[in-house]
Amino acid sequence: MSALAITSSSLTTSLARYWRSWGLWVLLLIAPICARYMLRIDDGGVIIAIDGKLPEMTSAFIGVSLGIVMTTLLLPVGWLYLRSNTTRRQPWQVEETTAASRVAIALGRFGADCMIMLTTLTALTAAGWFLAWVLIPVQQLNFAHLTFALWLVAAPALIGLCALRILFDARPLLRSGFGDFAYFVLWIMSLAMPAIMAGQTPSLATNMADFAGFVTPLQYGAPGDAGDFAISVGGGFDVDPGHVQLDVMAGLTSAGYIPSRLLWIAIAIALVIIAGLIYQPHRAKRRAQRAPWLAALLQPGAPPRADPHAKAARHAVAGALNLVMAEFRLIGTGRVFLAFAASVTALSAFADFRQIASPAALLVMVFALSAHAGRSEARGLVSLTRVASFAPMLRRAAFVIAGGVWTTLMAMPALFRTPSLEMFSTAAGTGLIAAAVASVLATLSGSGFAPRLVLLVLWYGYSSYSG
Amino acid sequence: MSSLALAGIAKSYGRKVVLADVSHTFTPGLTLLTGPSGAGKSTLLRLIATAERPTRGTLSWNEARLPDARARLRRVLGYAPQAVDLPEDLTAREFAMHIAALKGLSLSAADKQFGAITDAIGLHADINNRIASFSGGMRRRLIFAQALLGAPEVIALDEPTAELDGETARKLSALILERAKTAIVVVTTHLADELAPHAVATLRVRDGAVA
Repeated sequence: MSALAITSSSLTTSLARYWRSWGLWVLLLIAPICARYMLRIDDGGVIIAIDGKLPEMTSAFIGVSLGIVMTTLLLPVGWLYLRSNTTRRQPWQVEETTAASRVAIALGRFGADCMIMLTTLTALTAAGWFLAWVLIPVQQLNFAHLTFALWLVAAPALIGLCALRILFDARPLLRSGFGDFAYFVLWIMSLAMPAIMAGQTPSLATNMADFAGFVTPLQYGAPGDAGDFAISVGGGFDVDPGHVQLDVMAGLTSAGYIPSRLLWIAIAIALVIIAGLIYQPHRAKRRAQRAPWLAALLQPGAPPRADPHAKAARHAVAGALNLVMAEFRLIGTGRVFLAFAASVTALSAFADFRQIASPAALLVMVFALSAHAGRSEARGLVSLTRVASFAPMLRRAAFVIAGGVWTTLMAMPALFRTPSLEMFSTAAGTGLIAAAVASVLATLSGSGFAPRLVLLVLWYGYSSYSG
Repeated sequence: MSSLALAGIAKSYGRKVVLADVSHTFTPGLTLLTGPSGAGKSTLLRLIATAERPTRGTLSWNEARLPDARARLRRVLGYAPQAVDLPEDLTAREFAMHIAALKGLSLSAADKQFGAITDAIGLHADINNRIASFSGGMRRRLIFAQALLGAPEVIALDEPTAELDGETARKLSALILERAKTAIVVVTTHLADELAPHAVATLRVRDGAVA
């Protein structure tokens, strides 16, 4: 079979699976609904301010605004969708024993992912047209400018996202939770990197540092004396009356901007080819050889001697409490977690609670909670557990309580040191809220992936916020 | 004496009718559900295990109708589906304790009982190992073992001896027959095996009907 035929087959099969999934329709709805909140209308939405003033609303500015929000805030949503949705499960056992080129398969899947993400962008474009029609006088409407600005900013970032998904599916380590963490770091970097080029004359080199593509369109077309640029979601600062004239089209067509966006697309395609070349087949989990002392430490030990005459277990007197205890144990399963939890507990004895100990505890819990929520809500397991005495909702409630108990326990030294109701509520609240988020997302997605990524984003916000 | 009664049960998925007008009363003892692949055996077992609801008809547990009696039935139910998405990163023992907690059982007693069950089916040496390292047969035995935790009065087992070698299958069969002395045990199988002579009833499922 030719490489082209393999790519074509991979593309059409993946697309067929996408079209038949309900998740796609949710994704297609998210963009237009969010579009309303991406723009500064009345007092809500995302604020883009230059020297404290809002730019004048033009078609191109609406396009750039929607593009900026798409490439910054919505990239994690796109990652969540691609990594956890319809085409996550593949018949690897069969595919990997065929002679088909992995590059050809990767390109086909990449093509399908791109079509899905660009379809979402099309939905957002349509929503942008409608909003522009509402917000801008008819004689100033320019749908071509809006579309050009939106696609130039957002499309390369979305295509890059699709390429990363394929690349992160190529190696065992990147397929795991580490891959999600690595993506999270890359995403944060993509938001921070543009600061390097702020104030510099736009060129291909400076624009390449701006994966999200929002600096030049805002900076280049701003008045010459403009110095302060700020983007905020849902408030955060007050804007001054009046508007700034912003020539977005000049920024989009400035030297090096369009070539940089095209180069990002070329890099994305190159990443997919590299993913095909370095692809490593799935294997049954094999534990790496550990040092003898580590192996001895992690060895679970022989099971207790079986008593063939053991009586049938009776129902517990306090079954609900039993359930909370079981969830508590299962969240904390594994000696690695226990070692981290013990370290964080020790840390809370002397480190600042709100700035260091509590974020550290939450980070440990992100992985433990998402792992247990994911395994408990696996579709194939729920078919068994839903017929148990305790309904799934009761187990979820027990899980949330157990999460709160874990973070409270880790904060005990700090609570003994400086007892306060505020500290107690922070300690318990972080665990309860994180567990609730993990439970809801794992229930919806049937895996621990979505909660892990969302909790990492929330953890980043929590650890950065000093209030 | 416990009884689980099906009256005029039908189950459809869209236009596809899987079961039509099934009536039977299960009493303590072993009941085999036989029939060709795709005949509806597993669907009937899922209905008995309350994992699905019938499109038409009623289920009754000790003469109380479901759904009112569903919680009471689930309290005394042991269910082993054909395939379960087992949590790979847990040990067999941790998984069993998870199920025991969901069944509302005393965990220390359930741990001892799990040891005894796994000892009887040749899995005990591996219960502290992660499920990821388990073979297909070991997974099958683990799914079987969790169904027997507690003292279930209704045990629904879907092809429990599939993928097992002859000797291990015989060990499972012995446990099934032991439990069938006091409990309602319903087992699906598409093969006539050594359980057949001990069954109080054998229902043949074919084309949505039970004979």
